[in-house]
Amino acid sequence: MIGDLAAVLRKELLHLRRDPGTLRLALLIPALQLTLFGLIDTTVRDVPLAVFDQSLSPESRELVAALEASRVFRVARRVASRDALRQEIVAGRARVGLELPLDLHRRALTAERSSTLLVLVDGSDASVAAQAIDAVNGLALSRSLEVLARGVEALPLEPRVQVLFNPELRSAALLIPGLIGILLTFSGTLLTAFALVRERERGTLEQLMVTPLSPAAIVLGKLLPYLGLAMVQLAVVLVLMRVVFRVPIHGDLLLLGALSVEYLASLLALGLLISARSRTQVEATQRAQLFLLPSILLSGYIFPLTAVPAPLRVVSHLLPATHFIAIARGIIVRGAGLLDLWQHVLALGLIAAALLLASTRAFRKTLS
Amino acid sequence: MSGASDGQAGVVVQGVSRDFGPLRALDRVSLAVARGTVFGLLGPNGSGKSTLIRLLCGLLAPSEGVVEVDGLDVASRGEEVRRRVGYVPQRFSLYDDLTVAENLDFYAAAYGLRGAERRRRREEAAALVGVASQGGRLAGVLSGGWRQRLSLAAAIMHRPRVLLLDEPTAGIDPVARRALWDLLFSLAGEGVTLLVSTHYMDEAERCSRVGYLFQSRLLAEGPPDALRARPDVTPSGTRRLEAELGPGVAAGLARARALPYVREATIFGTALHLLVDDRATDAAVARDLGARALRPAPPSLEDAFVRLTALQGAERPGR
Ligand SMILES: Nc1ncnc2c1ncn2[C@@H]1O[C@H](COP(=O)(O)OP(=O)(O)OP(=O)(O)O)[C@@H](O)[C@H]1O
Ligand SMILES: [Mg+2]
Repeated sequence: MIGDLAAVLRKELLHLRRDPGTLRLALLIPALQLTLFGLIDTTVRDVPLAVFDQSLSPESRELVAALEASRVFRVARRVASRDALRQEIVAGRARVGLELPLDLHRRALTAERSSTLLVLVDGSDASVAAQAIDAVNGLALSRSLEVLARGVEALPLEPRVQVLFNPELRSAALLIPGLIGILLTFSGTLLTAFALVRERERGTLEQLMVTPLSPAAIVLGKLLPYLGLAMVQLAVVLVLMRVVFRVPIHGDLLLLGALSVEYLASLLALGLLISARSRTQVEATQRAQLFLLPSILLSGYIFPLTAVPAPLRVVSHLLPATHFIAIARGIIVRGAGLLDLWQHVLALGLIAAALLLASTRAFRKTLS
Repeated sequence: MSGASDGQAGVVVQGVSRDFGPLRALDRVSLAVARGTVFGLLGPNGSGKSTLIRLLCGLLAPSEGVVEVDGLDVASRGEEVRRRVGYVPQRFSLYDDLTVAENLDFYAAAYGLRGAERRRRREEAAALVGVASQGGRLAGVLSGGWRQRLSLAAAIMHRPRVLLLDEPTAGIDPVARRALWDLLFSLAGEGVTLLVSTHYMDEAERCSRVGYLFQSRLLAEGPPDALRARPDVTPSGTRRLEAELGPGVAAGLARARALPYVREATIFGTALHLLVDDRATDAAVARDLGARALRPAPPSLEDAFVRLTALQGAERPGR
């Protein structure tokens, strides 16, 4: 009995040793997972702030400086109108907009009446929004207390917070657009990777390669069904989101569809790259995981990008999911248009082009 | 028609080597197969047969040397070569999850056949190899013999000029084997050039020419009769005998190998095939082995290969 067990055990250990790729990845993945989770600090920092400063006084400068000193905010833009302030948030360049009134200077001194700060908050990232509101309130309160200590009656600074999108700060409105990005990552990358590796694993590539079919025909013929499948998936998720979770789509559905194709192109190319390098489906799965994991943790899907430590944020910006999630949230929650999102669209396009280039090259090599 | 080949050759291999890292799987192999003939490729496991065939269909590139198929250089005109070649791999390489008909339809389309023509060729090929009755079954559930036939059907639908078959009859019953060889000869009769690897000597005997690969080198090449008649197969001063021993043949083999005048001994049924020095008389051989009957035996193709291998001075690789 023990002898039998030992025999099987020995054989399995041999399998493991002969497959260093699997072993390496099996050890690497949990390490990566743990590191990423550990490094992510969910207190928000450096939230991009747009400022519309009407008073342009020492007081207003001091107030903004204090907000920056809290490290919660970083002034990303200075604008000259309330509309521009709003536009910065729609475009995703700022999460919070602060309007300082013309008479901040005078009112702060005399404190005849309290001075109202208009705070516009982007609700499409609920956790950031909540913490940002706390931070502004906290600062306004402490400033006011300072002034009060000098013997003035009324609370001189009164922030009026207005959450622009997703006003109830519902997490569904936030998570589902992100989830679309993640779901497509799974089907786009993994299914594509499998389609080719399966042929290699089963030996059917041998017969396929002696036909006059061009590599382009083989690759495209394999990719298109998965592109179609992923688009169907997208439609299903959007319908569920709208009907079951009642998340309204504020932006242009066609734009979302078009940019999804761009996103999928990058994912399919990545799947192709993985399949060119993997001999077995297990190996392909593990390689894909190496990519899926950061796509979930570093893309802003669960944790806001501001929670990702700076060095890792480079990785975030290289992940297609990061840009697509920003695009999906922008279109669905904030009603953003192409002009607002051009940076993400451009980045995604560059990533897709690079991946397509790398994958066709890798694929040519394995086929020849 | 390109320079290296004479126009009559369907396959030309010239000074071809192929390395896999430090391993030399083929070492300076040269051979030619005339159009409309069947060439048999023999050799022990790992001798390089599959490697040579994969070089011929362009799946592998040679490390050195020139490979030509149907007068075309495989390295520079791979695309045209692929249209003219049919290939049956050693391992079944069609889709298990497609039916027989679906597999054939896909490969017919892959070779550019369209519409009614595609259907006609598909059905023709299926009928020719006898898989028509299996059309609706999944390829994955077919028995080994059926699968081999299906592979062959997939490889001939586009009417290739050259057919490369890697052990097409491995695991096939004798009747089916004979039917398959009849089919191969009828294809050769239509002008198709065939190169077939096999471990079966009876199949080799039927080929126009055979080549014997041993440890990556082509040790001998020619018509089976010529190989058997080679002087180094039965050197002067020796002769070949068949000694009928009955049930004690296994013990007889050990005894024969211990005799100083026996150069070679192999069991065939209840008899031994011997290569003996002429200094030993028939009577002495019969007495030493306790043989019931003794008669002269012309060398078989297998005898020839065994002899050529022994002359090579290397031990037979047992894998
Ligand atoms: N892709 C490869 N990578 C590394 N070595 C290889 C590869 N293909 C073949 N070889 C090696 O080349 C040698 C010849 O192999 P090949 O498959 O041609 O033998 P074979 O004559 O077909 O054997 P068999 O009768 O068992 O089919 C073997 O030692 C094999 O291990
Ligand atoms: Mg072989």
